[in-house]
Parts: sequence; structure tokens; C-alpha cells
Amino acid sequence: MLTSLAEGPRHGYAITLDVEQLSGVRLGPGTLYGALSRLEDRGLIESLPVEDRRHPYRLTGAGSAALADELRTLQRVARSGLDRLRVAEATG
Amino acid sequence: MTRWLARLALRFYPLAFRRRYGEEMLALLEESPPRALAVIDLLRGAMTAHLRPSATDASLVDSADRMRASMSGQLACWVAFAVAGFGFYITTEDAPFTAAGRTHQLLGATHLAIQIIAVLASGAVLAGALPLIAAALGRARREPRLRRLVSLPPLAVLLFVGLTRLMELVSSSQPAHHTNSAGAIAFLSWGLAGLACAAVCVVAARGALFAVPMQRWRLVAAFACGTLVTAAMVAIAVATTLYGIALFADASHLAASGNGPFQLLSTGVSLAVQLLVMVLAATLAATSTRRGWRAVALD
Repeated sequence: MLTSLAEGPRHGYAITLDVEQLSGVRLGPGTLYGALSRLEDRGLIESLPVEDRRHPYRLTGAGSAALADELRTLQRVARSGLDRLRVAEATG
Repeated sequence: MTRWLARLALRFYPLAFRRRYGEEMLALLEESPPRALAVIDLLRGAMTAHLRPSATDASLVDSADRMRASMSGQLACWVAFAVAGFGFYITTEDAPFTAAGRTHQLLGATHLAIQIIAVLASGAVLAGALPLIAAALGRARREPRLRRLVSLPPLAVLLFVGLTRLMELVSSSQPAHHTNSAGAIAFLSWGLAGLACAAVCVVAARGALFAVPMQRWRLVAAFACGTLVTAAMVAIAVATTLYGIALFADASHLAASGNGPFQLLSTGVSLAVQLLVMVLAATLAATSTRRGWRAVALD
């Protein structure tokens, strides 16, 4: 969800569509708003003034930093995994 | 149907969560028609929101509404608890249980304690609810929506009492100790009707509680009564546990005997189910009560 908001503010439905496109997982409404509530509580996202009954959400500074940290970790893990697979294929 | 169920599932969320996200969630459900899985997802989300309430959302509910929400929780738990308690009473009212109570001290003492605490708790329910009912009835004369809410619980209870009488007639026409699938279906339907009746009473009472403006002292007094009821639920659950242990230890033949109009369950299993409902209801009521008093203390 943080990755979805990295591009700019989005409301709940737009986040659902984007997450589905990114990961193939369709978030249920309970999961979506439970996560939004927790992310808001942790100060990683904030809501903007309501537009047509819905609040758009955007990353805060702390949210951007947390997302960058998480993505760097994932990148490191993915790179290590691919390197190991390459080595295994070369030797096997 | 799924959309209606999804909207119903939204009502299970905590008040603060609904005030913060309710309108958005409704808009989302209108924008993308929910599937059956979405209803389950919403119910799971509601349970999580109750177990881990958001600190930020809590500021959206003032202490008066927090007390109203806690009282609704206490009432829902009390209704579930009373159903299980009534089941306990029916299960243990027959002569062999009375005789066992005279012979075995712990059985007799816990059974008596349960009855005394239940009477005190019912008194506390009346003391807390009557002023609120009087206020709601006074206002219902002017407000049609409130009039509907106030008239729903008596209607639901009347229907359920009628159904219970019918069920008694059907079961008395069956041969003793005879179990059949029609009996099981009738018993299950009766149980579901009881649940529906309880749900109507709780939802209507909650609606009325939020619709009637009330002085703070009156809310605090009713909430204090609800707290006594919660304490009574905990005490009864403890006494029922002791009763169950004593029954299995001292009168195991009674625990193994058949129970209910169609003898579908043994007495021991019936008591275990009733105790489980009691413990769950008492725990939820205690949590709701603690949160209510915390909001009052912070105000």
C-alpha cells in the first residue's frame, strides 16, 4: 500500500486497484481500511480533505523513509537470492 | 444480498472506526460491488478493530458516546449470557439435580449462589435500564423513528415466546427419549429464531440509546449498573465452572444423561457449551466496561 501511495495521493478504491495490478492480490474492504488505520496510527500516511465522500491518502516523510528502507531490504534479499540461484545453476 | 450483508457487517465495527472510515467504506462498497468473501473480510476487520482499537480514532468519540457504546456492548453480552444462563437453569432444574445438590455441598452451594447473583444482576439491569427506557418512551411520542425502535424488542420477544410454546407442543407430542432429524431441525430453527430475537432487541436498544439525548449523570448511573452486571457475569461464570467440576466429580451419571427436549446433547456437553458462552460474554463485557470507564476518567 505504501508503494501504491509513492506515486501520489490515492483514495481507498484506487489503492485496491493499484495493489491488485502490482501484486495480483485484491484487498478486501476490511483489510484495506484496517491497514490504512494502522498506517495512519503509525504516522506513515495521512489523509487529505474529503473528496466525494472519500479521503485521499498520501505518504508522510516518515512513510517515505520507511518505504525506502523496506524496498532497499527487499532489493538486497532479491539480489542475494538471484545471485545464489545463478551460482547454483553454474555449479550444478 | 451481498451488498446488504456487507453494509450490515460494517455495523459491527467500533463506533470510532465507523466515524472515521464508515462513509468511505460505504462509498467503496457502492463503487465496487462486494463479493461474499468481502463480507467475511469485513467481519474479520471488525473483530481486529475491536481487539486493537486505534488511539487516533478514539478522539472521534466523546465520553458520553463511549459510555453508550460500552453499555450497548454490556447489553449484548448480558443477553447472550442470559440465554446461556437460562439454558443452565433449564438443564439443572429437574428433581435429580435438586437431590444431588442436597447430597453434595459444593453442587448445592454453587447452584444457590448462581441464582442469588442472577437475581441481583437482573435487579441491576432493571435499575440501569428503566430510566433510559422511560426517557426513550417519553421522546418516542414525538419521533416516529424512535417509536419504531422502542416497539421492536417487545414484538420480537412476543414472536419468540409464541415459537417457544409451539416448540414445546411439538416436543411433547414426540415419544420420550426419541430423537429424529425433524426434531433436530426444529430445535436448530428455534435456536436461530432466539438469536434473531436477541439481535433485534440489542440493535433496537442501541439505536434508541444513541438517539435519546441524556444528562451525563443519568448515563454514568446506568453505566455503573452495567458495571455491576458485568461483575455479576464474571461471578456467575466462576460459580458455573465450580458447579460443572462438582457435577463431573460427584454426580457423573447426571453429567452423562441426555438433555433438552429432543435429547440431542448430554447434560455435560450442554453445560460446557453454556459455560463457554458465559465466559466469552463476561470477558467481552469486562473489556467493554474497562474501555468505557477509561474514557470517563480521561474526560
